Amino acid sequence: MTDGEHAALSLRGLVKRFDDKTAVAGLDLDVPPGSFFGLLGPNGAGKTTTLSMAVGLLRPDAGGAWVLGRDVWHDPVEAKRLLGVLPDGVRMFDRLNGAELLAYTGLLRGMERDVVERRAAELLDVLALADAGRTLVIDYSAGMKKKIGLACALLHAPRLLVLDEPFEAVDPVSGALIRDILQRYVTGGGTVIFSSHVMEVVERLCSHIAIMAEGVIRSVGTLEQVRGERPLEEVFVEVVGGRTATGQELSWL
Amino acid sequence: MALTAAAPPAGRVRISTFARLKLRVLGNNFRGQGWRIALFIVGSLLGLWLAGVAFLLFLVSGYADSDEFAVIAPALGGAGLTLGWVFLPPIWFGVDETLDPARFALLPLRRRTLVTGLLVGALISVPVLMVLFATSGMVVAAGARGGPAAAAVQLVGVLAGLVLGVTVSRALTSALASMLRSRRMRDLAAIVLALLAAMLGPLQIFVLSAAQHTDLDQLVRVSRALGWTPLAAAYTVGTDAAAGTWWAVPVKLAMVAAVIAALLWWWSRSLESAMLGATGASGTRRRDRAPAAPGGAVGALLPRPLRLPASPFGALVAREVRYWWRDARRRANLITFGVVGIFLPLVFTIGFGRLTGLDEAPTPPPLAITLSMISVGALAAVTLANLFGFDGSAYAAHLTIPVPGRTELRARAVAYSVYIVPMLTVIAVLISLLLGDPARIPAMLGGLWAAYGGGLAVNQIISLFGAYALPETTNPFAVNTGAGVAKSLLTLLSLVATAALAAPVALLAALSGDAWSWLALPAGLGYGLGAAALGSYIGGDILDRRAPELLQAVTPRR
Repeated sequence: MTDGEHAALSLRGLVKRFDDKTAVAGLDLDVPPGSFFGLLGPNGAGKTTTLSMAVGLLRPDAGGAWVLGRDVWHDPVEAKRLLGVLPDGVRMFDRLNGAELLAYTGLLRGMERDVVERRAAELLDVLALADAGRTLVIDYSAGMKKKIGLACALLHAPRLLVLDEPFEAVDPVSGALIRDILQRYVTGGGTVIFSSHVMEVVERLCSHIAIMAEGVIRSVGTLEQVRGERPLEEVFVEVVGGRTATGQELSWL
Repeated sequence: MALTAAAPPAGRVRISTFARLKLRVLGNNFRGQGWRIALFIVGSLLGLWLAGVAFLLFLVSGYADSDEFAVIAPALGGAGLTLGWVFLPPIWFGVDETLDPARFALLPLRRRTLVTGLLVGALISVPVLMVLFATSGMVVAAGARGGPAAAAVQLVGVLAGLVLGVTVSRALTSALASMLRSRRMRDLAAIVLALLAAMLGPLQIFVLSAAQHTDLDQLVRVSRALGWTPLAAAYTVGTDAAAGTWWAVPVKLAMVAAVIAALLWWWSRSLESAMLGATGASGTRRRDRAPAAPGGAVGALLPRPLRLPASPFGALVAREVRYWWRDARRRANLITFGVVGIFLPLVFTIGFGRLTGLDEAPTPPPLAITLSMISVGALAAVTLANLFGFDGSAYAAHLTIPVPGRTELRARAVAYSVYIVPMLTVIAVLISLLLGDPARIPAMLGGLWAAYGGGLAVNQIISLFGAYALPETTNPFAVNTGAGVAKSLLTLLSLVATAALAAPVALLAALSGDAWSWLALPAGLGYGLGAAALGSYIGGDILDRRAPELLQAVTPRR
């Protein structure tokens, strides 16, 4: 099996209900190999739920997920070997320092000691985290936390990166660094799918995008196909059905 | 929300707002959570049963023929309740922080308003209702002895005693929490806990000797003395009123009021630190810019003295070993066990000496020692009943790797044992030296290890099915609304199951007689290791299947 035969990530008929609310309602998605894929949607659209089901963190009520042809829910060991994940809103083992956390992740994945040492040192250096020394991750700034999370996801050289809100609460300097590394990763043949609601970042980075709202994909394709001749933000607001202020509300402000 | 209304001036916040807030949060917590409601009902029924028994005991004391029981029951019962408020939250239940003080940090509230409001919030809880039910027996009893006036006085006393109890539990856990947060005060907190546990000693000796000798006159004298301490002052005013010593009533109530005021002041002091702690959610803040250890990343992770392999198992053990010390919540558990584990058997054996009325330290039968060791061993493993809850959402990292279930459970058991096994050894050596009988060390160690190993097996399984999320606050004793019931039920289940698993060893100890002194060590060690291995073998399979559900269970709801 080569990467060319399969989508880097395919989702089929994913459904997730919480109590009385349907968060994801029968979602299908194919992420082409080698693409830089942006998953767009307003808050509460079900992006995090979808990605959690795609990487094996949340059991779907129906449907399945495949990473380069490997079933995430029935062959998790093989699928997760090819997968690097940066979840959002999830704590890390943050009472370790950066180097310890990377060593921990590497060894847990069963990597050789010297490989872990070399890659950890390199990642800390490139991501400008080496200065932090023995500072515990819990005391890192938001941007540093995203960066060490990305380093953990990259450590085992996965074929597919799944990133949930990688640019949330990140300052421009760290953001540029993360963008840079991701672009290099895609150029090297990897595939990235990330969720965001920041249009500028998506327009600048992505080759493909999907816009989701209320638990389903509303629009999907290459950036040009989805956007057409208009600015992405306009398309986005139209697709998800947002409204603009009339100027009448909040007059007391 | 009335955004159009002008903001109320600071200080005019009504206390009833806190009461309504607490009720609303309690109610919302149950919405769509069938198992929570079930757990709540089970816990309430259990509490109701206990409270009913206590109610009847207090009631009967009022109608007994002799006056002695009318003096003894409220004094001892009241003192027991107050001590329960002191000891049980840090050691057993945790504190319900439905109204987390940190959430009020940004509101323009006077400290006095906040403390009163939080107190009112704390008073609205099921345990408080249960205690109120139980102590209403005292009111009826006082009425039977001294008429409506005595009953009214006792009612005031019971309410004051309740407020005192809730205040002392809040003030104490809040102070301990803020101590455990700071590195400088951590050792002091351990000492405070130790002193608390040490205070259990005299009480237990007293209760034991009382039960043995039933010397009523002596009990009455002790009860009268207790009535003049804050422990039971509030609960004995009805007795005084019924006996006609009305002058004692205002004096005692004034004393209780003064103690409550002092405790509230103490609480408000540590509240400040709890509110500030919310901004930096870390247990220990350190900004150590020293370069990483020369051994590289892996060398930094694996502690050198343990000689761990550079494998998934080694990494997990290393991380867990660090977490048991770096995470304030886990550390609080370790310290509490260390203290209780040493004092419990000590009190037991010394109490045994007093009980038999001998000045010389007597030699309790081997079976008694084995049993006390089994209870300590079982207690040691109970901490693991919510093993994954300590990780919270960080456990997600293990799912994305994925870590094999058996490796996971084995490594966690080993890492915890790195702390517990030396503690158990110290306990066995210390107790046997205090008994003046070092030859007992092997038998004690055998009992401890067998029970601890069995406890590991039991709690590994419990931790997979009974996991619950811990709140992300800075108070290591805090539990979510309703989780207190879950925690106590799971602890009870774990202790009972462990005791059942350790029963064969106790049986062996009883049957083998003198041979036990040399059989205990290998038998206990073998049994413990076997049980723990079996536990992680079975549990590992379950974990592989249930990992995503486990992650959901331990992820705090926002």
